[in-house]
Amino acid sequence: MTDAPKDNLVEVARLPPAAAARDPLALVVRFQSIIGLVLVLIGGVVFSPVRHGQIIFLSPDNIANIIRAISETGIIALGMTFVIITAGIDLSVGAMLGLNSVLTAMLMTSANLGLAPTLLVVLAAGTTFGALQGLIAIRFRLEPFIVTLAGLQMARGLALILSGNVYINISYGDGPGLAPPVFALLGERLFHNVVPVATLVFVALAVVATVVLNTTRFGRYVFAVGGNERAARLSGIPVAGVKVAVFAITGFASAAAGIVHAGQFNFGSANDGAGYELTAIAAVVIGGTSLFGGAGSMIGTIAGSIMLGALANILQLNNVNASLQLLATGAIIVLAAALQTMVGRREGSMR
Amino acid sequence: MSAPVLVMSGIEKRFGGVHALRGVDFDLRQGEVHALLGENGAGKSTLMNVLAGVIAPDRGEVRVDGLPVRFANPRDAQASGIATIFQELDLVPGLDITANLFLGHELMRVGGRLDNARMEREARARMESAGVEIDVRRRIQELSIGQRQLVAIAKALSYATRVLVMDEPTAALSAAEAERLFRVVRAMRERGVGIVYISHRLEEVPRVADRVTVLRDGRRVGEEPASAPQARLVRLLVGRPFDEMFPPRGGELGAQLLRLEHARFAPRTEVAGWQAPLDVSLTVHTGEIVGLAGVMGAGRTELLSALYGAGQRGRWEGKVEVAGRAARLSTIAAARRAGLAFVTDDRRGSGLILRHSVGRNVVMSILRRISPMGFVSRAAEDEAAQRSIKTFDIRPPRAAIPVGNLSGGNQQKVVFAKELLQEPRLLLLDEPTRGVDVGAKGEIYQRLRALTNRGLGVLMASSELPELIGLCDRIVVMRQGRSIAEFPGGIDEKVLLESATGIAEEAA
Repeated sequence: MTDAPKDNLVEVARLPPAAAARDPLALVVRFQSIIGLVLVLIGGVVFSPVRHGQIIFLSPDNIANIIRAISETGIIALGMTFVIITAGIDLSVGAMLGLNSVLTAMLMTSANLGLAPTLLVVLAAGTTFGALQGLIAIRFRLEPFIVTLAGLQMARGLALILSGNVYINISYGDGPGLAPPVFALLGERLFHNVVPVATLVFVALAVVATVVLNTTRFGRYVFAVGGNERAARLSGIPVAGVKVAVFAITGFASAAAGIVHAGQFNFGSANDGAGYELTAIAAVVIGGTSLFGGAGSMIGTIAGSIMLGALANILQLNNVNASLQLLATGAIIVLAAALQTMVGRREGSMR
Repeated sequence: MSAPVLVMSGIEKRFGGVHALRGVDFDLRQGEVHALLGENGAGKSTLMNVLAGVIAPDRGEVRVDGLPVRFANPRDAQASGIATIFQELDLVPGLDITANLFLGHELMRVGGRLDNARMEREARARMESAGVEIDVRRRIQELSIGQRQLVAIAKALSYATRVLVMDEPTAALSAAEAERLFRVVRAMRERGVGIVYISHRLEEVPRVADRVTVLRDGRRVGEEPASAPQARLVRLLVGRPFDEMFPPRGGELGAQLLRLEHARFAPRTEVAGWQAPLDVSLTVHTGEIVGLAGVMGAGRTELLSALYGAGQRGRWEGKVEVAGRAARLSTIAAARRAGLAFVTDDRRGSGLILRHSVGRNVVMSILRRISPMGFVSRAAEDEAAQRSIKTFDIRPPRAAIPVGNLSGGNQQKVVFAKELLQEPRLLLLDEPTRGVDVGAKGEIYQRLRALTNRGLGVLMASSELPELIGLCDRIVVMRQGRSIAEFPGGIDEKVLLESATGIAEEAA
C-alpha cells in the first residue's frame, strides 16, 4: 500500500532531507563497497594463515597475487559500469576476452604485425564489435541482454574458428612468427617484484574511467540516459549515440582485457574468459551501481572488484573448496542488492 | 434525503511532526455523490485511507449506519460495505474480466475445478448491474483505461453495496470515457450507493456530485452544494479569490515567432490513437501566450510534440515558419536549434530523472554549454542550479535534493527551469499545471507571464478551460487534428466548450 499516508509523505518530502541523510541504512549502502572491502580486508588479516610470524595475507607476494588476479575482470567491470548505468547489460565481454586474446596472439605471431599495430587492431576490433551490438540493439529495438547473449555466442564461435580450437602460443624473439619481447612485460612485476604490470593497466584504465564518468559531459549523458531515457531525449541528449558508445566502451575494455590476458599467459585461447561477464557484473552491483540504471559509482566498481579478489584469496589461503567460494560470492551479491533495494524502496515511498 | 450511511467526526491524524488531519467531519447519505476536493497535501487521501482501513486515526469516530466502527485493515472496511477504488487499479492485465472479478473468490465445482460457466454468467450480471457493456471474456490488457476503470467499479461493487470511494477516477480518462463514467456513477447513486468522489478537477463537481466538501491543510474549510460557483470553490481551495491567480495580460506583441499555415504532419507510419496534425494554422508572437483547446484526442499533444520533433517520425508539409523563416522541424535537435523548448504533460515519465538531484536535472538541457572541452564545469553547473532555484522559487531551495522528493508543483517548476535554461524563444507547454495544486498553479501562471513580458512566446495546450481563458492572449481550438477556430483570451467558457466539442452544451 504505497500510497497509504500520501499526504503526509508529501509534507515530509518538502522538508530538507536531513532525515534521509541520517538514515544509517542509506549511509551503509552509499559506502557499501568501501565498507565491504574494509570488512573483507580485516577478515583477510584475521583469518590469514601465519608462517614464520608473517601474516601471509599481507605478504607482498600474496598482495601481488590478489591485484594481478583482479586485473582482467576489473578492466571489464570498468566498462560494464557504463553499460549498467544506462540500464543495459553486456554479456559478451567474457567471450570477447577470449576472442581478443586469440586475435592478439595470432596478429603478433603468425601475422607478425608488431606490437603497436597489433594493439591498435585488437582494440579497434573490440570497440567495433561492441558498437555493433549497440547499433543492433537500437535499430531493432532489442534488449541488450538478448543482443549481447548473441554476441557472446558469436564471439566465442569466431574465436574457435580463428584458433582452430587450439591454444595460440606466443613465443618471443626477433624474427618471423615471434612476438616482440616487450609484450612479455605484461606478465612481469615491477617495483621490487610486487606490482604486476597487468594491474598497472587496470589502474590506468580505472583512473580514466573514473574521470570520464564523473567529470565529463559524456558521463552525465550516461547517467541521464539510464535515469530516464525519455527525459534525456527531450532534453536534447543524443540517446542513441550514448547507448552505442557505452557498448563500444565495453568492447574496448574486453579487448584490453584480452590483450592483458594474452600477455600474462603467453597464449591466446578461445575458451578463456568464460564467466568473466558474471564476475564483472557482480563487482559492479556490489559497488552500488543500480541495475535499473541512472545511479552508480566507478569507485564502487573498483572496490567491488578488489573485494571479490580479496575474498577469493582468503578462501584459497585457508584451503576452502572452490565451490564454497562461489557460495560466498553469491551471498554477497544478494546482500548488496538487497541493501540497495531496501533503501530504494524507502526513497520510492517518499515520492 | 435519507439518513447518513457514513459519519466521520473529529478525525485527527498526525504523522510525526505533520498534522495531516485536524478534526475533520465528513458524512455521506445513502444515494448521494459527495465530492471531496483539496490540493495535494490537504488531507483527502489520508481521510479516505482512514475510511478504507489503511490508516488508523489518532482520534475521532467513524460510524456506519449509526454504529461506531474501527477498521483494523482494508478487509474490515470491505466487510462493512465500504470499497475504495484507488488510482492504481487492482486488476491483472493478462486475465479476462471474469477472472478478475472473481480473483481470490473463484467459484468451484465439486472436485476443485473452476466453474467457468457460472462465473461468466455472474460476471455478466455484475457488469450489467454496474451499467457497463463490455464482453466479460475480454482481457484487461485489451481494454482502454476508461473501460478498466469501469471493470474496477464492477469489482468493487461486488463487495461494497453501501459506500464506494473513488480516488481521482477521471485522471487518465478521455472526455468521452469520463462522460460514460459519470453515467455509471449516476446510475449507482440511483441504486442507493453512497459515493465519495475525490477529485481536483473543479469542473467535474457539478456534473457528477450532489454536495462538495473542501479540505485545506487538514481542515474542512467548507461544505457547499455542488452547484456552487467555481470561483467560490477555488477560493475555498486556495484561500484566496480565483481571479487573482491570473496575472494581467501582457502589453505589446513582438515579432512573429511561429507561423503554421495549413500545416500538416505526415507520420512515417500511422499509429492508432495518435492524431496527427492534419491542417493547422496559427501564429505565436514574442510576448504572448497562445492556448490550444480541444477535447481529448483532438491532437493538441501531437501538435506540440510534432513541432518539437518528439512525436512520431515523419515530416511537416505546408508552411512552417520559425521567426519568419521556413523551418524543418523533424528532430528534437532541429527544434532546439530553432529555439524551441518543450515541457511534457508527463513530468515524472518524460520530464525529470526523479532520483537525480534538482541541480542535475535543471542542467540536463544545457550540458553542452557548460562543458567546454567535454568536461562539465562544476562552477557553471552550480551557478545555473542556484539561479533556477531562485528564479522559480523551488522549495526547498537546495540543489542536492533528489527531485523525486519534491512536491508536484515544485517538480513542475524544475521542469520549467530546465527548459528555460537553454534560453528558448518559443516554449511549448503540454498541460503545464497537471497534477499541480492550485497554489503552485498561480505561481506558474505568474512566471509564464513574466517570461513572455521579457520576449518569450508560449504555445500551451490545456484541458482546463478556465486556465486557458484566464491566462492566454489567444486560444486556438483544435478538433480532429485541425485548427477550427480562434478566440481572444477571456472568452466565455460556454462558447469555448461548444467550439471544442462541436455540440451546443446541454445545460449543466
